[in-house]
Amino acid sequence: MQSFSYHKPGTVTDAASLLAARDNAALLAGGMTLLPTMKQRLAAPDDIIDLAAIRELSGITMEGEDLVIGAMTRHADVAGSDLVKEVLPALAGLASRIGDQQVRHRGTIGGSISNNDPAADYPAAILALNATIVTSQRAIAADDFFVGLFETALRPGEIVTAIRFPRAKRAAYAKFPNPASRYAIAGVFVAQTGGAVRVAVTGAAPFVFRATDVEAALSANYAVEALERLSIDTQDLMSDIHADREYRGHLVMVMARRAVAESLKRSG
Amino acid sequence: MELKDTLTIAAPVEAVFAALTDPETVRACIPGCESLVPVTATELQARVALKLGPVKARFSGLVELDVSAAPQRIRLSGRGDGGIAGFAQGGADVELLADGQTTILTYVAKAEIGGKIAQMGARLIDGTARKLASEFFTDFKTIVEDASR
Repeated sequence: MQSFSYHKPGTVTDAASLLAARDNAALLAGGMTLLPTMKQRLAAPDDIIDLAAIRELSGITMEGEDLVIGAMTRHADVAGSDLVKEVLPALAGLASRIGDQQVRHRGTIGGSISNNDPAADYPAAILALNATIVTSQRAIAADDFFVGLFETALRPGEIVTAIRFPRAKRAAYAKFPNPASRYAIAGVFVAQTGGAVRVAVTGAAPFVFRATDVEAALSANYAVEALERLSIDTQDLMSDIHADREYRGHLVMVMARRAVAESLKRSG
Repeated sequence: MELKDTLTIAAPVEAVFAALTDPETVRACIPGCESLVPVTATELQARVALKLGPVKARFSGLVELDVSAAPQRIRLSGRGDGGIAGFAQGGADVELLADGQTTILTYVAKAEIGGKIAQMGARLIDGTARKLASEFFTDFKTIVEDASR
Protein backbone atom coordinates (compact mmCIF):
# COMPACT_ATOMS: atom_id res chain seq x y z
CA MET A 1 0.00 0.00 0.00
CA GLN A 2 1.36 3.32 -1.10
CA SER A 3 0.37 5.95 1.45
CA PHE A 4 -1.01 9.35 0.47
CA SER A 5 -2.60 12.38 2.12
CA TYR A 6 -6.33 12.80 1.57
CA HIS A 7 -7.82 16.30 1.24
CA LYS A 8 -11.48 17.22 0.94
CA PRO A 9 -11.73 20.96 0.22
CA GLY A 10 -15.12 22.71 0.26
CA THR A 11 -14.50 25.28 -2.49
CA VAL A 12 -12.86 25.39 -5.92
CA THR A 13 -10.47 28.08 -4.66
CA ASP A 14 -9.24 25.83 -1.86
CA ALA A 15 -8.90 22.86 -4.21
CA ALA A 16 -6.91 24.94 -6.70
CA SER A 17 -4.52 26.24 -4.07
CA LEU A 18 -3.99 22.72 -2.68
CA LEU A 19 -3.26 21.49 -6.19
CA ALA A 20 -0.87 24.34 -6.94
CA ALA A 21 1.08 23.82 -3.72
CA ARG A 22 1.84 20.13 -4.28
CA ASP A 23 4.09 18.44 -6.84
CA ASN A 24 2.58 15.00 -7.04
CA ALA A 25 -1.12 15.55 -6.36
CA ALA A 26 -4.13 14.12 -8.18
CA LEU A 27 -7.68 15.42 -8.34
CA LEU A 28 -10.34 12.84 -7.51
CA ALA A 29 -13.66 13.35 -9.29
CA GLY A 30 -15.51 10.05 -9.85
CA GLY A 31 -12.30 8.04 -9.62
CA MET A 32 -13.22 5.82 -12.57
CA THR A 33 -9.73 6.06 -14.06
CA LEU A 34 -7.57 7.23 -11.15
CA LEU A 35 -8.57 4.52 -8.66
CA PRO A 36 -8.05 1.48 -10.94
CA THR A 37 -4.71 2.97 -11.99
CA MET A 38 -3.67 3.37 -8.35
CA LYS A 39 -4.82 -0.17 -7.53
CA GLN A 40 -2.60 -1.44 -10.34
CA ARG A 41 0.29 0.58 -8.86
CA LEU A 42 0.61 2.46 -12.12
CA ALA A 43 0.12 5.77 -10.34
CA ALA A 44 1.12 6.74 -6.83
CA PRO A 45 0.13 10.32 -6.02
CA ASP A 46 1.31 11.72 -2.69
CA ASP A 47 -1.85 13.81 -2.31
CA ILE A 48 -5.43 13.08 -3.32
CA ILE A 49 -7.70 16.11 -3.58
CA ASP A 50 -11.30 14.88 -3.48
CA LEU A 51 -13.72 17.27 -5.20
CA ALA A 52 -16.86 15.54 -3.85
CA ALA A 53 -17.62 18.12 -1.15
CA ILE A 54 -17.63 21.11 -3.51
CA ARG A 55 -21.34 21.79 -4.01
CA GLU A 56 -20.88 24.45 -6.69
CA LEU A 57 -19.40 21.82 -9.04
CA SER A 58 -22.58 19.74 -9.39
CA GLY A 59 -25.87 20.44 -11.06
CA ILE A 60 -27.59 21.13 -14.38
CA THR A 61 -29.09 24.55 -15.16
CA MET A 62 -30.02 26.85 -18.04
CA GLU A 63 -28.10 30.11 -18.28
CA GLY A 64 -29.68 32.15 -21.03
CA GLU A 65 -29.75 29.86 -24.06
CA ASP A 66 -26.95 27.62 -22.75
CA LEU A 67 -27.24 24.34 -20.91
CA VAL A 68 -24.67 24.40 -18.11
CA ILE A 69 -23.51 21.16 -16.51
CA GLY A 70 -21.30 21.23 -13.42
CA ALA A 71 -18.02 19.31 -13.70
CA MET A 72 -18.87 16.87 -10.88
CA THR A 73 -22.25 15.94 -12.35
CA ARG A 74 -22.45 12.15 -12.74
CA HIS A 75 -23.27 10.47 -16.05
CA ALA A 76 -26.47 8.95 -14.61
CA ASP A 77 -27.68 12.42 -13.58
CA VAL A 78 -27.11 13.80 -17.08
CA ALA A 79 -28.83 10.73 -18.59
CA GLY A 80 -31.83 11.07 -16.28
CA SER A 81 -32.21 14.85 -16.32
CA ASP A 82 -35.53 16.11 -17.73
CA LEU A 83 -33.83 19.38 -18.63
CA VAL A 84 -31.08 17.66 -20.67
CA LYS A 85 -33.64 15.37 -22.31
CA GLU A 86 -35.64 18.41 -23.37
CA VAL A 87 -32.80 20.73 -24.48
CA LEU A 88 -30.17 18.26 -25.77
CA PRO A 89 -31.65 14.74 -25.88
CA ALA A 90 -28.59 13.51 -27.81
CA LEU A 91 -26.41 14.36 -24.82
CA ALA A 92 -28.71 12.51 -22.39
CA GLY A 93 -28.62 9.54 -24.75
CA LEU A 94 -24.81 9.60 -24.87
CA ALA A 95 -24.55 9.71 -21.07
CA SER A 96 -26.96 6.77 -20.74
CA ARG A 97 -24.58 4.57 -22.76
CA ILE A 98 -21.27 5.39 -21.06
CA GLY A 99 -19.60 2.34 -19.46
CA ASP A 100 -21.85 0.35 -17.19
CA GLN A 101 -24.34 1.13 -14.41
CA GLN A 102 -21.58 1.47 -11.78
CA VAL A 103 -19.45 3.80 -13.91
CA ARG A 104 -22.48 5.97 -14.73
CA HIS A 105 -23.25 6.47 -11.04
CA ARG A 106 -19.69 7.40 -10.11
CA GLY A 107 -18.06 8.91 -13.20
CA THR A 108 -18.34 12.64 -13.87
CA ILE A 109 -18.36 14.79 -17.00
CA GLY A 110 -15.49 16.96 -15.74
CA GLY A 111 -13.38 13.93 -14.88
CA SER A 112 -14.02 12.36 -18.26
CA ILE A 113 -12.95 15.39 -20.30
CA SER A 114 -9.97 16.27 -18.07
CA ASN A 115 -8.65 12.74 -18.53
CA ASN A 116 -9.31 12.90 -22.31
CA ASP A 117 -9.19 9.16 -22.88
CA PRO A 118 -9.05 8.56 -26.65
CA ALA A 119 -12.18 6.39 -26.48
CA ALA A 120 -14.28 8.42 -24.02
CA ASP A 121 -17.75 9.49 -25.20
CA TYR A 122 -18.14 13.02 -23.79
CA PRO A 123 -15.28 14.63 -25.77
CA ALA A 124 -17.19 13.90 -29.01
CA ALA A 125 -20.30 15.70 -27.74
CA ILE A 126 -18.33 18.67 -26.46
CA LEU A 127 -16.42 19.11 -29.70
CA ALA A 128 -19.40 18.59 -32.03
CA LEU A 129 -21.73 20.84 -30.01
CA ASN A 130 -19.01 23.52 -29.81
CA ALA A 131 -19.33 23.68 -26.03
CA THR A 132 -17.22 25.89 -23.80
CA ILE A 133 -15.19 24.45 -20.93
CA VAL A 134 -15.24 26.71 -17.87
CA THR A 135 -12.31 26.30 -15.48
CA SER A 136 -11.11 27.81 -12.24
CA GLN A 137 -9.16 30.31 -14.37
CA ARG A 138 -10.89 30.92 -17.72
CA ALA A 139 -13.23 29.67 -20.43
CA ILE A 140 -11.79 27.40 -23.13
CA ALA A 141 -13.43 26.70 -26.52
CA ALA A 142 -13.91 23.01 -27.32
CA ASP A 143 -11.71 23.36 -30.43
CA ASP A 144 -8.79 24.44 -28.22
CA PHE A 145 -9.34 22.05 -25.31
CA PHE A 146 -8.48 18.57 -26.60
CA VAL A 147 -4.84 18.69 -27.70
CA GLY A 148 -3.51 15.11 -27.69
CA LEU A 149 -3.64 11.60 -26.27
CA PHE A 150 -4.72 12.15 -22.64
CA GLU A 151 -3.71 15.78 -23.11
CA THR A 152 -5.83 18.89 -22.72
CA ALA A 153 -5.23 22.63 -22.69
CA LEU A 154 -5.55 22.59 -18.88
CA ARG A 155 -2.57 24.15 -17.11
CA PRO A 156 -1.08 22.66 -13.95
CA GLY A 157 -3.36 23.63 -11.08
CA GLU A 158 -6.34 24.40 -13.32
CA ILE A 159 -9.68 22.71 -12.51
CA VAL A 160 -12.68 22.26 -14.83
CA THR A 161 -15.76 23.69 -13.10
CA ALA A 162 -18.53 23.44 -15.72
CA ILE A 163 -19.33 22.84 -19.37
CA ARG A 164 -21.63 25.21 -21.31
CA PHE A 165 -23.51 23.69 -24.22
CA PRO A 166 -25.25 25.88 -26.80
CA ARG A 167 -28.55 24.54 -28.15
CA ALA A 168 -28.47 22.50 -31.34
CA LYS A 169 -31.04 22.34 -34.14
CA ARG A 170 -30.29 18.65 -34.64
CA ALA A 171 -27.86 16.34 -32.91
CA ALA A 172 -27.21 12.65 -32.37
CA TYR A 173 -24.47 10.29 -31.23
CA ALA A 174 -23.82 6.79 -32.56
CA LYS A 175 -21.14 4.52 -31.23
CA PHE A 176 -19.78 1.07 -31.82
CA PRO A 177 -18.84 0.02 -28.31
CA ASN A 178 -16.27 -2.49 -27.20
CA PRO A 179 -18.56 -5.22 -25.83
CA ALA A 180 -16.53 -5.58 -22.62
CA SER A 181 -15.64 -2.03 -21.61
CA ARG A 182 -18.32 -0.11 -23.58
CA TYR A 183 -15.56 2.27 -24.61
CA ALA A 184 -16.10 3.52 -28.15
CA ILE A 185 -14.17 1.62 -30.83
CA ALA A 186 -15.65 4.35 -33.00
CA GLY A 187 -18.13 6.99 -31.88
CA VAL A 188 -19.50 9.87 -33.97
CA PHE A 189 -21.41 12.90 -32.70
CA VAL A 190 -23.17 14.96 -35.37
CA ALA A 191 -24.59 18.40 -34.56
CA GLN A 192 -26.31 21.02 -36.66
CA THR A 193 -26.38 24.47 -35.08
CA GLY A 194 -27.66 27.37 -37.12
CA GLY A 195 -26.17 26.84 -40.58
CA ALA A 196 -23.08 24.98 -39.41
CA VAL A 197 -22.62 21.23 -39.12
CA ARG A 198 -19.95 19.83 -36.79
CA VAL A 199 -18.96 16.17 -36.68
CA ALA A 200 -16.65 14.85 -33.96
CA VAL A 201 -15.13 11.36 -33.86
CA THR A 202 -13.92 9.56 -30.74
CA GLY A 203 -12.33 6.15 -30.21
CA ALA A 204 -10.79 6.01 -33.66
CA ALA A 205 -7.67 8.17 -33.32
CA PRO A 206 -5.28 9.08 -30.46
CA PHE A 207 -7.77 11.78 -29.46
CA VAL A 208 -11.13 13.21 -30.51
CA PHE A 209 -11.11 15.05 -33.85
CA ARG A 210 -13.50 16.79 -36.28
CA ALA A 211 -14.20 14.94 -39.52
CA THR A 212 -14.06 17.95 -41.83
CA ASP A 213 -14.92 16.04 -45.04
CA VAL A 214 -18.05 14.70 -43.40
CA GLU A 215 -18.90 18.20 -42.13
CA ALA A 216 -18.53 19.64 -45.65
CA ALA A 217 -20.74 16.95 -47.18
CA LEU A 218 -23.44 17.47 -44.56
CA SER A 219 -23.26 21.27 -44.80
CA ALA A 220 -24.07 20.95 -48.51
CA ASN A 221 -26.82 18.39 -47.97
CA TYR A 222 -27.88 17.29 -44.50
CA ALA A 223 -28.93 13.76 -45.36
CA VAL A 224 -27.69 10.20 -44.96
CA GLU A 225 -27.29 9.96 -48.75
CA ALA A 226 -24.71 12.77 -48.66
CA LEU A 227 -22.32 10.37 -46.90
CA GLU A 228 -22.91 7.32 -49.05
CA ARG A 229 -19.81 7.44 -51.21
CA LEU A 230 -17.63 9.20 -48.65
CA SER A 231 -14.76 7.60 -46.77
CA ILE A 232 -12.31 9.09 -44.31
CA ASP A 233 -8.52 9.14 -44.42
CA THR A 234 -7.40 6.28 -42.18
CA GLN A 235 -3.69 7.15 -42.00
CA ASP A 236 -3.91 8.71 -38.54
CA LEU A 237 -6.38 6.23 -37.04
CA MET A 238 -5.45 3.71 -34.34
CA SER A 239 -4.84 0.01 -34.85
CA ASP A 240 -5.10 -2.36 -31.91
CA ILE A 241 -6.29 -5.84 -31.04
CA HIS A 242 -9.93 -4.71 -31.27
CA ALA A 243 -9.88 -3.11 -34.69
CA ASP A 244 -7.30 -2.16 -37.31
CA ARG A 245 -7.26 1.27 -38.88
CA GLU A 246 -9.18 0.36 -42.06
CA TYR A 247 -11.97 -1.23 -40.04
CA ARG A 248 -12.10 1.78 -37.70
CA GLY A 249 -12.33 4.08 -40.72
CA HIS A 250 -15.22 2.01 -42.04
CA LEU A 251 -16.96 2.08 -38.64
CA VAL A 252 -16.62 5.86 -38.45
CA MET A 253 -18.62 6.27 -41.66
CA VAL A 254 -21.26 3.74 -40.56
CA MET A 255 -21.63 5.57 -37.22
CA ALA A 256 -21.77 8.95 -38.99
CA ARG A 257 -24.65 7.74 -41.20
CA ARG A 258 -26.49 6.28 -38.19
CA ALA A 259 -26.06 9.52 -36.25
CA VAL A 260 -27.41 11.62 -39.13
CA ALA A 261 -30.41 9.30 -39.55
CA GLU A 262 -31.10 9.46 -35.80
CA SER A 263 -30.77 13.24 -35.68
CA LEU A 264 -33.32 13.64 -38.49
CA LYS A 265 -35.92 11.82 -36.38
CA ARG A 266 -35.92 14.55 -33.75
CA SER A 267 -34.45 17.96 -32.98
CA GLY A 268 -31.70 18.77 -30.43
CA MET B 1 3.08 -2.64 -34.05
CA GLU B 2 5.08 -0.73 -36.60
CA LEU B 3 5.43 2.98 -37.25
CA LYS B 4 6.81 4.68 -40.34
CA ASP B 5 7.39 8.30 -41.13
CA THR B 6 9.56 10.55 -43.23
CA LEU B 7 10.70 14.05 -42.40
CA THR B 8 12.93 16.62 -44.04
CA ILE B 9 15.59 18.25 -41.90
CA ALA B 10 17.27 21.45 -43.06
CA ALA B 11 20.81 20.27 -42.21
CA PRO B 12 23.44 18.14 -44.01
CA VAL B 13 23.55 14.37 -43.47
CA GLU B 14 26.79 14.56 -41.45
CA ALA B 15 25.21 16.97 -38.95
CA VAL B 16 22.07 14.83 -38.64
CA PHE B 17 24.17 11.70 -38.12
CA ALA B 18 26.33 13.39 -35.50
CA ALA B 19 23.26 14.57 -33.61
CA LEU B 20 21.61 11.16 -33.74
CA THR B 21 24.63 9.55 -32.13
CA ASP B 22 25.19 12.30 -29.56
CA PRO B 23 23.83 11.17 -26.17
CA GLU B 24 23.04 14.72 -25.03
CA THR B 25 20.95 15.50 -28.14
CA VAL B 26 19.17 12.15 -28.00
CA ARG B 27 18.45 12.59 -24.29
CA ALA B 28 16.88 15.99 -24.95
CA CYS B 29 14.60 14.44 -27.59
CA ILE B 30 13.35 11.33 -25.78
CA PRO B 31 10.10 12.36 -24.05
CA GLY B 32 10.57 12.08 -20.28
CA CYS B 33 14.24 11.02 -20.47
CA GLU B 34 15.96 11.78 -17.19
CA SER B 35 19.40 10.45 -18.05
CA LEU B 36 21.22 8.76 -20.92
CA VAL B 37 24.73 7.69 -20.06
CA PRO B 38 27.17 5.88 -22.41
CA VAL B 39 28.26 2.51 -20.96
CA THR B 40 30.29 1.24 -23.91
CA ALA B 41 30.94 2.65 -27.39
CA THR B 42 27.59 1.35 -28.62
CA GLU B 43 25.50 1.00 -25.46
CA LEU B 44 23.76 3.63 -23.38
CA GLN B 45 22.03 3.35 -20.03
CA ALA B 46 18.68 5.20 -20.04
CA ARG B 47 16.17 6.32 -17.42
CA VAL B 48 12.80 7.46 -18.74
CA ALA B 49 9.76 8.68 -16.81
CA LEU B 50 6.65 7.98 -18.85
CA LYS B 51 3.54 9.98 -18.04
CA LEU B 52 0.41 9.04 -19.90
CA GLY B 53 -2.91 10.21 -18.54
CA PRO B 54 -3.15 8.81 -15.04
CA VAL B 55 -0.21 6.42 -15.49
CA LYS B 56 3.22 7.38 -14.28
CA ALA B 57 5.94 4.77 -14.69
CA ARG B 58 9.70 4.95 -14.66
CA PHE B 59 11.69 2.72 -16.99
CA SER B 60 15.39 1.99 -16.92
CA GLY B 61 17.22 0.04 -19.56
CA LEU B 62 19.87 -0.27 -22.20
CA VAL B 63 19.83 1.37 -25.61
CA GLU B 64 22.04 -0.13 -28.28
CA LEU B 65 23.28 1.77 -31.31
CA ASP B 66 24.29 -0.07 -34.48
CA VAL B 67 26.23 2.27 -36.76
CA SER B 68 27.86 -0.36 -39.02
CA ALA B 69 26.06 1.08 -42.06
CA ALA B 70 26.64 4.71 -41.03
CA PRO B 71 26.01 7.41 -41.96
CA GLN B 72 23.21 6.23 -44.29
CA ARG B 73 21.60 3.86 -41.83
CA ILE B 74 21.46 3.65 -38.06
CA ARG B 75 19.72 0.99 -36.02
CA LEU B 76 18.60 1.70 -32.46
CA SER B 77 17.22 -0.91 -30.13
CA GLY B 78 16.41 -1.02 -26.47
CA ARG B 79 14.66 -2.83 -23.70
CA GLY B 80 13.47 -1.17 -20.53
CA ASP B 81 12.23 -2.49 -17.23
CA GLY B 82 9.48 -0.53 -15.49
CA GLY B 83 9.42 -2.63 -12.33
CA ILE B 84 5.85 -3.34 -11.27
CA ALA B 85 4.52 -1.57 -14.36
CA GLY B 86 6.00 -4.08 -16.80
CA PHE B 87 8.54 -3.83 -19.56
CA ALA B 88 8.92 -2.14 -22.91
CA GLN B 89 11.12 -2.98 -25.82
CA GLY B 90 11.52 -1.53 -29.24
CA GLY B 91 13.77 -0.45 -32.00
CA ALA B 92 14.04 1.88 -34.94
CA ASP B 93 15.76 1.73 -38.30
CA VAL B 94 16.68 5.23 -39.36
CA GLU B 95 17.71 5.99 -42.92
CA LEU B 96 19.35 9.26 -43.90
CA LEU B 97 19.32 10.48 -47.49
CA ALA B 98 21.19 13.60 -48.60
CA ASP B 99 19.20 16.10 -50.66
CA GLY B 100 21.59 18.99 -51.24
CA GLN B 101 22.00 20.76 -47.93
CA THR B 102 18.98 19.03 -46.43
CA THR B 103 18.46 15.48 -45.20
CA ILE B 104 15.51 13.21 -45.72
CA LEU B 105 15.08 11.07 -42.61
CA THR B 106 12.93 7.95 -42.78
CA TYR B 107 12.27 5.79 -39.76
CA VAL B 108 10.59 2.46 -39.19
CA ALA B 109 10.03 1.83 -35.51
CA LYS B 110 8.68 -1.16 -33.64
CA ALA B 111 7.46 -1.20 -30.05
CA GLU B 112 6.17 -3.86 -27.71
CA ILE B 113 5.08 -3.66 -24.11
CA GLY B 114 4.39 -6.40 -21.60
CA GLY B 115 3.33 -6.91 -18.03
CA LYS B 116 0.76 -4.90 -16.16
CA ILE B 117 1.03 -1.79 -18.29
CA ALA B 118 0.18 -3.91 -21.35
CA GLN B 119 -2.95 -5.38 -19.73
CA MET B 120 -4.22 -1.94 -18.81
CA GLY B 121 -3.08 -0.21 -21.92
CA ALA B 122 -3.44 -2.74 -24.75
CA ARG B 123 -5.77 -0.41 -26.61
CA LEU B 124 -3.39 2.50 -26.12
CA ILE B 125 -0.08 1.08 -27.36
CA ASP B 126 -0.51 2.32 -30.90
CA GLY B 127 -1.47 5.86 -29.92
CA THR B 128 1.24 6.10 -27.28
CA ALA B 129 4.01 4.84 -29.55
CA ARG B 130 3.02 7.29 -32.28
CA LYS B 131 2.90 10.15 -29.83
CA LEU B 132 6.35 9.34 -28.41
CA ALA B 133 7.92 8.82 -31.84
CA SER B 134 6.44 12.01 -33.21
CA GLU B 135 7.59 14.03 -30.17
CA PHE B 136 11.09 12.56 -30.47
CA PHE B 137 11.54 13.41 -34.15
CA THR B 138 9.85 16.83 -33.92
CA ASP B 139 12.24 17.85 -31.12
CA PHE B 140 15.16 16.27 -32.97
CA LYS B 141 14.43 18.25 -36.13
CA THR B 142 14.19 21.50 -34.15
CA ILE B 143 17.46 20.91 -32.28
CA VAL B 144 19.44 19.88 -35.37
CA GLU B 145 18.11 22.74 -37.49
CA ASP B 146 18.81 25.30 -34.76
CA ALA B 147 22.34 24.00 -34.34
CA SER B 148 23.21 24.10 -38.05
CA ARG B 149 21.81 27.59 -38.65
